[in-house]
Amino acid sequence: MLAGIITVVIFFGSLYLIFTEKLNRTITALAGSMLTIVVGRIMGFYSEEKALEAIDFNTLGLLLGMMILVAMLEPTGFFQYLAVLAARSSKGNPKRLFFLLAVITTVLSMFLDNVTTVVLIAPVTLLICEILGISSLPFLITEALISNIGGVATLVGDPPNVLIASAAPLSFNDFLIHSLPIVLVVWVGVMYLLLYLFRAELSVQPRKAKAVMELNPAETLNHPVTARQLLIVLGAAVLFFFVHHFLHVDPSLVALTAAAVALVWVRPDINQTLKHVEWSVLVFFGALFVMVGGLEASGVLDALIGLLEPLASMPPILFGVGMIWIVAALSAVVDNVPITIALIPVVHGLGASGMDVQPLWWALAFGAGFGGTGTIIGSTANIIVANLSERTRHPITPAIWNKRGPLVLVTTCVISSVLYAILYSTF
Amino acid sequence: MTVSSCMKRNVISIHASDTVRAAAAIFVQKHIGLLPVVDDGKKVIGVVGLRDLLTLEMPDFVSFIEDVDFVHDFGAVETTRPEAESLDKPVTSILKSVFTVEEDCGLLRAYALMLQHNLHDMPVVNKKGELVGITSRVDIGVKILSSWSAVE
Repeated sequence: MLAGIITVVIFFGSLYLIFTEKLNRTITALAGSMLTIVVGRIMGFYSEEKALEAIDFNTLGLLLGMMILVAMLEPTGFFQYLAVLAARSSKGNPKRLFFLLAVITTVLSMFLDNVTTVVLIAPVTLLICEILGISSLPFLITEALISNIGGVATLVGDPPNVLIASAAPLSFNDFLIHSLPIVLVVWVGVMYLLLYLFRAELSVQPRKAKAVMELNPAETLNHPVTARQLLIVLGAAVLFFFVHHFLHVDPSLVALTAAAVALVWVRPDINQTLKHVEWSVLVFFGALFVMVGGLEASGVLDALIGLLEPLASMPPILFGVGMIWIVAALSAVVDNVPITIALIPVVHGLGASGMDVQPLWWALAFGAGFGGTGTIIGSTANIIVANLSERTRHPITPAIWNKRGPLVLVTTCVISSVLYAILYSTF
Repeated sequence: MTVSSCMKRNVISIHASDTVRAAAAIFVQKHIGLLPVVDDGKKVIGVVGLRDLLTLEMPDFVSFIEDVDFVHDFGAVETTRPEAESLDKPVTSILKSVFTVEEDCGLLRAYALMLQHNLHDMPVVNKKGELVGITSRVDIGVKILSSWSAVE
């Protein structure tokens, strides 16, 4: 009992520090996890071995593999290339440009980290808007919003999905069957909403529509050969993602093998490549796993299952819809990774008390992913875009965001709730 | 030889209370690259470079895109002028901290400091910190080279 109370205090104390940003999240999680182990050793409920077992290496491996691939693709200029192609085929028409950039951002964020997608696409978007002589605001906000939505569609699109897939477990194709169709409908709904919200800005005639035709896509590729090699490897990795569960291999094996193949083929400066891997994210994840492992070892999760038992008789669909909204509201204001990691044991607990939790995993994924659109600090992609725009003449302020973000959040939740309720009560 | 032997003594400077617009007019009229900003006591409180003024008109993307070679036409930004509001601000709004040397500074030292601080022009002050001249890489460099004719 005492062990349980102590681990809960450490866990929620760490979450408090993370959510209030009083201390860097990785430092907090690492300190919290070590404290859990030390207390666990003293009281005899947790150990180094158990802590290591608690770390989900599939999640870490998948993230690391994708990070290495992205770190190699980044300097090739491929993202600029895509954006410039979009600019040229839009012929300077703002609405067409808006649509094309949104499509590119969505597709990239489905397979790559949302933050990377936005970091690479936003500067060139700014460039295109400036030479056209139109406001970049609708484009930048939309890219952040839409990358959050695109990330929900696939197993590799967003860290919460990776966590959920590993915990449930769910395969890459499960996401394509259950998540992608709903995300597509949500996407269409959100695009219509954004076109309406930005109708004034997007109707402005560009002052220099022809300037985009002078952009040369070929010159944006710094390393065309490397770009081609990496796209081949990434394409092959995606093919293997499709069949990974038939082959009985984990997605992390696919991602790490792809990273290894790419490294051998391209042979980049490995120190430079590894410098671009976000180690702090990986350490953060690992440390959170250790803390949750401590909760489990101290018996907190068993107690939680007992508490959740009365809920297990609720209709799972109703529960799921509630979960979408609650998780979305939470992840609009705080980081969705700790929320997901904390809720995974709860879903497992509900499963152990007899509820059919399969639909709940999807509710968790939708809530965690779509929730990020709500506020300017809702997701790292939003923060990145806001920071970038702060260094320009037209910064995106929280007030500007709040005129669109919450509407987008509600739209995503309404559409996904309706589809969720229909699909999971019929099938 | 000291830096006082190769500096312009008739320094063009601007008072801290003047506007950005006034500073720009001086750059145009005098065809210079660096303008010291002085207070009432002729003390240099900072400098404004041609670059700092041009930043007001430079498009935002230039600071985010490392290599703008592929942008063959800057389009709308070529004809975008800074807003009147930013031109009517005091010159101190774009003030950069100043790096000066005293007039008895040796030539090689002065040149090395300019290289390390990436300066092309550098104000020269007296012991009291008052502005007495301004020197450039070319002024110092040429002066140093001129002594080479004596090398046997």
